[in-house]
Amino acid sequence: MAERLSNLRLLFLASALVLTACGGSDNDPPPAPPPGGEVEPPAPPPPPPPPAPPPSSSNVPTISPEVVAAAEKITSDAQVAAVVQDLLTPENAKGRFNQHMELVRIASPSRYEYRMAAEIHRRMAGEWGFSPDEVKTSADGNLPGSDVQIVDGMPVYNACVEIKGSYSSTPGAQSYNGQFPKVLVESHIDVVNPEVLPPDSNPYQPIRLQPISQPIVTLPSELDMIADQLAFDAGGRIVEDSNYAQASRWFKDANAARDGGGVRRYVPGIGDAMGNTTGVMTLAQMMKKHNIKPVYDIWICGTAGEEGKGNLAGMKQLYGYDQDRGTGTNPLNFVTNFGNEGGGSINFLGSYRFEMKYKAPATPGPNQPSALEAMAATVAKIADVRTPSELREGAPRTTYTVGQASCEAPASGSTVVPSCTILVDMRSPLTETLDEVRAAIEPLFQAGVSDENARYGAAEGSAQAVTKELVWFGLRPAHVNQDKSDIAIQAGWQAAQTVGVDKQTQLDTGAGSLNDNVPAAIGVPTYNWNLASTAGSGGTHAFWEWSTRGNPDMEALRIQRAMTAALISAGFHAADGTVVPPLAGPIGPRTAQVQ
Amino acid sequence: MKKTIGSFLCVAVLGAIGAPALAQTSGGLVVEFQGPGGHSNGNYGRTSALHAAGRSLILLQKAGLPPGSYTVSALQGGNSVNSIASDGHYEVALTAADPTAYEGLVAQVTAAAKAGADAENAFRGVKEGDLTAGAPATIRYTVTPK
Repeated sequence: MAERLSNLRLLFLASALVLTACGGSDNDPPPAPPPGGEVEPPAPPPPPPPPAPPPSSSNVPTISPEVVAAAEKITSDAQVAAVVQDLLTPENAKGRFNQHMELVRIASPSRYEYRMAAEIHRRMAGEWGFSPDEVKTSADGNLPGSDVQIVDGMPVYNACVEIKGSYSSTPGAQSYNGQFPKVLVESHIDVVNPEVLPPDSNPYQPIRLQPISQPIVTLPSELDMIADQLAFDAGGRIVEDSNYAQASRWFKDANAARDGGGVRRYVPGIGDAMGNTTGVMTLAQMMKKHNIKPVYDIWICGTAGEEGKGNLAGMKQLYGYDQDRGTGTNPLNFVTNFGNEGGGSINFLGSYRFEMKYKAPATPGPNQPSALEAMAATVAKIADVRTPSELREGAPRTTYTVGQASCEAPASGSTVVPSCTILVDMRSPLTETLDEVRAAIEPLFQAGVSDENARYGAAEGSAQAVTKELVWFGLRPAHVNQDKSDIAIQAGWQAAQTVGVDKQTQLDTGAGSLNDNVPAAIGVPTYNWNLASTAGSGGTHAFWEWSTRGNPDMEALRIQRAMTAALISAGFHAADGTVVPPLAGPIGPRTAQVQ
Repeated sequence: MKKTIGSFLCVAVLGAIGAPALAQTSGGLVVEFQGPGGHSNGNYGRTSALHAAGRSLILLQKAGLPPGSYTVSALQGGNSVNSIASDGHYEVALTAADPTAYEGLVAQVTAAAKAGADAENAFRGVKEGDLTAGAPATIRYTVTPK
């Protein structure tokens, strides 16, 4: 009961949060307007405010002159140019491909990402040149500085490095609770499949290869029968054999791949989201290798818990998000967030997720209600639900699914199934429609129980009746953008324009459900894009997830775009000695204070 | 959802069941459903194999099998809360008075499996030959002896 009360309270607060989070933070008032363009060292960058264009109501952001100037300065910088030249070399493209394949095969189900995090940590320190103090996360999931270390009762296995900025050593530098401003660039390291972490003896998933000209597999057994796989040595390094030669060929698009003998690479996570995460990690490598110097610190993270029951655990740790209160303390003082999964979403779907357990009668016996059939009744009823967007024109797109079900096996000699469990997901960009679909679905958890008990004439709550209980409640806070020209959108938009990749003509005002939900809900400006390049892909979240390699030069430009956006926000010490000042203010928003 | 005409695969492995069914009065069946799966939000509107399994079990309840003639176990499917389930599964233990009655029970379970798949396909508006992202859009099912 305490859990249920807690969840009810959480939902109330979450609903309130959606209404209030857009108003910004309760921090110090913004500092003075920014100086234009560049300033000469050694004068420290003054406390920089956010850019000050008026909030735009159109679907095209208003870009301040300072953002345009910063983007141009960064793009023309000699050190940045060296990064780009490096990214465009065949050796770098090959390294990214190899890293992608070597990481994606590490099974990393949500909340059990520790093997993936360990391998990334190993590469950060052992191969990418980061010192121990630049690696901000650890194998046990502890994140110094955060006030959230445990989410849903489990550690959080993020993997983060810091590109150290100069701001903290500036006289008069502002901080929140001793934390100097940071910009976060992240992509998640968990996957939907496999749902259970395999044993230590076999931690890897096969990467199977199939000519793209052949039909997509329709059954798991068909996938298992594909013999061609990528090979790896005992150290986890990819083997450059004939299959490697085939899989590493890139194509402009699916038609070119079909005509040119391209292959599908089947492995969970290849698209969602290890291609993007490999790009993020390459960004970290490149900034370190080429000594890119921001003003604010830039954190580059592989984040845990984006998928499944992950409940955005990685972001909740980074942003100090208290699920019971629906508030975030932003303890590390992130001022801007850039997600590397998504297509430029600025609004974020809220979701409610329920794990319900159906239990056999307390005194089970023959000819009694069944927990399994009560659950089946619930599933069948939920399957017939129509969402607001299916019921009336103009309602925001609202979705649901019974994502997973399982039952305990009967005890030896018994036919009574002790318990069954379902997981249900509901999503909508507005709290009102999310609550509407919840109101349609939530009573069905009990309706299945009641139907099953009624079949046997068992009184509800009696020892002869099946019962249900709420095991877990998941929340992704919703957010509707109120400023289409916030610093994250300006920086991301202008970086695309200046670099010349993934340029948009309008903002995407649809809603996504991403890691960005958390920073957005507490007021931290956030924007997102993808880094990976594919010629074709499909099967996201299904056993047949696949992709065919796309143009690596596109990856290079997208990584450059991400770096440019981060540096616009964080500020940048250019190779010619000038400084591009940070265009985000030094104190990030929050909806609660660190205690 | 892209719909094109292709082959429709809806398999009831009655052939494998038929011969032994003639000689037995009890046994087990495995009922499996397969669908395209997908992202719970991004691919919303696709059929769910788990939804089909649930529909099928309720239709089996309503099929009028004699009391005590069947017991269901191992209802399961899907791989995460935020995915449309590409698989659904349950098992049925059957007990009949004679081989003919047993064969009738097998037929009723098979009919319920088909009806569950059909209901899910109809609810999501997909039909034989429809594809989604190159994969069959419909729910397919198998019923095999355990």
